[in-house]
Amino acid sequence: MSVPVSLSLETVRCELAAATAYAAAAGLELDASELSENTLQFHVVFWNMQRKRFTAEFDCRDYSMYPPTIEFVDATRTLRGTPALYPAGFHGMPCVCARYNRKAYTERGGPHGDWRLVDWQLPTGNGVAIDSLAMILSDLHSKISQSAGRLG
Amino acid sequence: MTTTAHGADASQDEAGDERHGPPHVQLQVQTPRGLWSMTEPEEAPRRPDYPISTKIQVVIDDARTVFKFVENDTKYTLFLGGEMLAPERTLASYHIAPDALLVLSVQGGNA
Repeated sequence: MSVPVSLSLETVRCELAAATAYAAAAGLELDASELSENTLQFHVVFWNMQRKRFTAEFDCRDYSMYPPTIEFVDATRTLRGTPALYPAGFHGMPCVCARYNRKAYTERGGPHGDWRLVDWQLPTGNGVAIDSLAMILSDLHSKISQSAGRLG
Repeated sequence: MTTTAHGADASQDEAGDERHGPPHVQLQVQTPRGLWSMTEPEEAPRRPDYPISTKIQVVIDDARTVFKFVENDTKYTLFLGGEMLAPERTLASYHIAPDALLVLSVQGGNA
């Protein structure tokens, strides 16, 4: 099952208001200039505790029925998904191992066959539910800003 | 009635009453669920107006209350710019200026 592109685009645009406010306050660089029905993507630059730069790509196809696919890319956005592009602390696949990342699910080669995509907004353990783009940015901001070095 | 974070009646503060004790600072706190300020959200039960001797942990706890972050098995961290603020330290120790914009980051459980 898939979500009409126009509906996903509308949902992402709506949620980007809160995500952009959070990103601006946190010193993250959110670039949604390419967001369109043809490119349901935006990018966010995070900084680790050593002020090293990490760029994450959010592919929002089928959002919000399914979570975005989050991948770290290089500054030119041509190289993607290598350990050297990831901050330290994430799954060695490499992958942001969280319910809010479609790449973490088995259908995308991820480690989690025990999760259902439609349940992505459920909390993990007894933690808060990461159920919106702003919450995803906050979770990643918290983890990356407290990490040092690269995954590979 | 909206109270400030230290318990005073906000309407008295807005009227410009002089307050005794340590100086106060009014803050803004951006969270993933919205901005907490002296005016937002409208229905907030308290406002971010603190004596400068207030510990960071108190601000974190109050922001959680305003935006109903009830889960304890979650990491809540307050940032000023790129700096992570230690919960046991005071606002004064960071020389936080009036209307400073802080960020509450919320980290979910680990897979």
